[in-house]
Amino acid sequence: MSQPNGIEVDGLVRVFKKGPRAVDGIDLEVPPGEIYGFLGPNGAGKSTTVLMLTTLLPPTEGTARVAGYDVVREGAKVRIAIGAALQDAALDPFLTGREHMRLQGGLHGLDRRERERRGDELLERVGLSEAADRKVGGYSGGMKRRLDLGLALVHRPRILFLDEPTTGLDIQSRTALWEEVSRLSKEDGATVFLTTQYLEEADVLADRVGIIDHGKIVAEGTPAALKAEIGHAHVEAQPANEEDRGRLDAVLERCDGDLTSIVRELDREGIRVARLTVHEPSLDDVFLAKTGRSLEGAGDDEDELLEEALA
Amino acid sequence: MNRRFRSVALAVAARSIHNVFTNPALILPSVVFPLFFFAAFAGGLARVGDIPGFDYDPGYTAFQFAFVLIQSSAFGGVFTGFGIARDFEMGFGRRLLLAAPQRPAILVGYLIAAFVRAAFTMLVVTVVALAAGAELNAGGIDLFGLYGLAVLVNLAAALWAGGVALRVRSIQGGPLMQVPVFLLLFLAPVYVPLDLLTGWIHAVATVNPFTALLAAARDLIDGDAGTLGVAVAISAGLVALFGVWALRSLRRAEAAGG
Repeated sequence: MSQPNGIEVDGLVRVFKKGPRAVDGIDLEVPPGEIYGFLGPNGAGKSTTVLMLTTLLPPTEGTARVAGYDVVREGAKVRIAIGAALQDAALDPFLTGREHMRLQGGLHGLDRRERERRGDELLERVGLSEAADRKVGGYSGGMKRRLDLGLALVHRPRILFLDEPTTGLDIQSRTALWEEVSRLSKEDGATVFLTTQYLEEADVLADRVGIIDHGKIVAEGTPAALKAEIGHAHVEAQPANEEDRGRLDAVLERCDGDLTSIVRELDREGIRVARLTVHEPSLDDVFLAKTGRSLEGAGDDEDELLEEALA
Repeated sequence: MNRRFRSVALAVAARSIHNVFTNPALILPSVVFPLFFFAAFAGGLARVGDIPGFDYDPGYTAFQFAFVLIQSSAFGGVFTGFGIARDFEMGFGRRLLLAAPQRPAILVGYLIAAFVRAAFTMLVVTVVALAAGAELNAGGIDLFGLYGLAVLVNLAAALWAGGVALRVRSIQGGPLMQVPVFLLLFLAPVYVPLDLLTGWIHAVATVNPFTALLAAARDLIDGDAGTLGVAVAISAGLVALFGVWALRSLRRAEAAGG
């Protein structure tokens, strides 16, 4: 059953004439109001998937329904329901932030008064009120990203697609954007489909995560469940006296990651430690377990691959 | 045309018009080119009006005004194609494709902008021509026909160039948009009437559709609307042909993801 604010994908494939099988039969379901993190290295197929779900690129095979509408047969209805901030914030350097808001409002059929009111509201929300009348050619990367996010929200979309929204941003801009995305989901009830190559971003923001590699989804679930799937936290310790190394390792092995037992045993045996670290499994560990590679630094530049394939 | 279609078209048009009229680099070429041609042809070649066989009552300045008016309309359309190509090259086209429920509205928006730009250029060209002494024997209906014809030429050229722009999606497609229009314009009887041309240029000009358009424009300036029907039929045919071309190009751009 198709959900009016959800996303349903069944066997989606995109093959480029001169290029790779960028998306290779993915299935996924995003219920209304969820933040779904689509995590993968460069070139994994994240952006191609977003282009198909936002009706910018027709799929080669498979079906996708967004907001209850088929992306191929009912593209116009999909576009009315969604907002998107794609990887490259395509802004017109000759227009100011406010003029962009007016343009976007016009594209979405808002009347003049609503365009002005909504534009002012969103510029305030993304922290660009003071820069609203400056041409965006002079905006920083973070300002452009924030404006792009604001533009995607002009018509109050039910579903929001954010394609690597924080790539290249400094930590402050990134955190501000995370807060806004989280607010959109929690307060406005928007469904958010967010692609990222940052583990932390998926971990912090996403209710559920899908990990994609070479066009296939290799793992899916909540961040906690995915980490639990590959094992529990483990403890690393450095003895204060290197002669105690053997006894320390024996304690760690015996207590199997249970921190309380480890501390009690160390105290009972009189072993002093210089450092004790609890290592939680990360999404990178999940990626490593599923693909045999680390996510950090893996992959090719998908944008470049796309450009080449579409040329 | 439903409300949403109109809203998209007007938004695209407003933005294009804003950019053209706030950036001298975008508006100047479409104004300067025709004025340059007018000054060069009507000024430098004025004695052509005295040669035997040249029997155009309004005179040589008005003879050239007709050409420059049609030429400026055509080039106005081509420059709009440049704008479309630039938008798609920098990714702005994707923003438009993403927001527009009915994507042909984007094309209509660009065409409205092309018309406004051409109207401005035609106004400037007309004022300069009148100031330079062009005599217009045309009545109100003739003038309406003259400028209506120019608008159809502008539309046809914008659809042609827009079609190329949507296929190439790069400003590198500029010569492909411009050169065919340039050739069609200058392989028509630009400097002298068709009867005074000889050799291969006469043969080419005879079958060149622009020749009929130019002849109709000159006749209208002379107060004769007799050839307007043929010219409107030709230009409307070009609009229809290039309209299909532009829509197919839009589909091509959509299939490529913008």
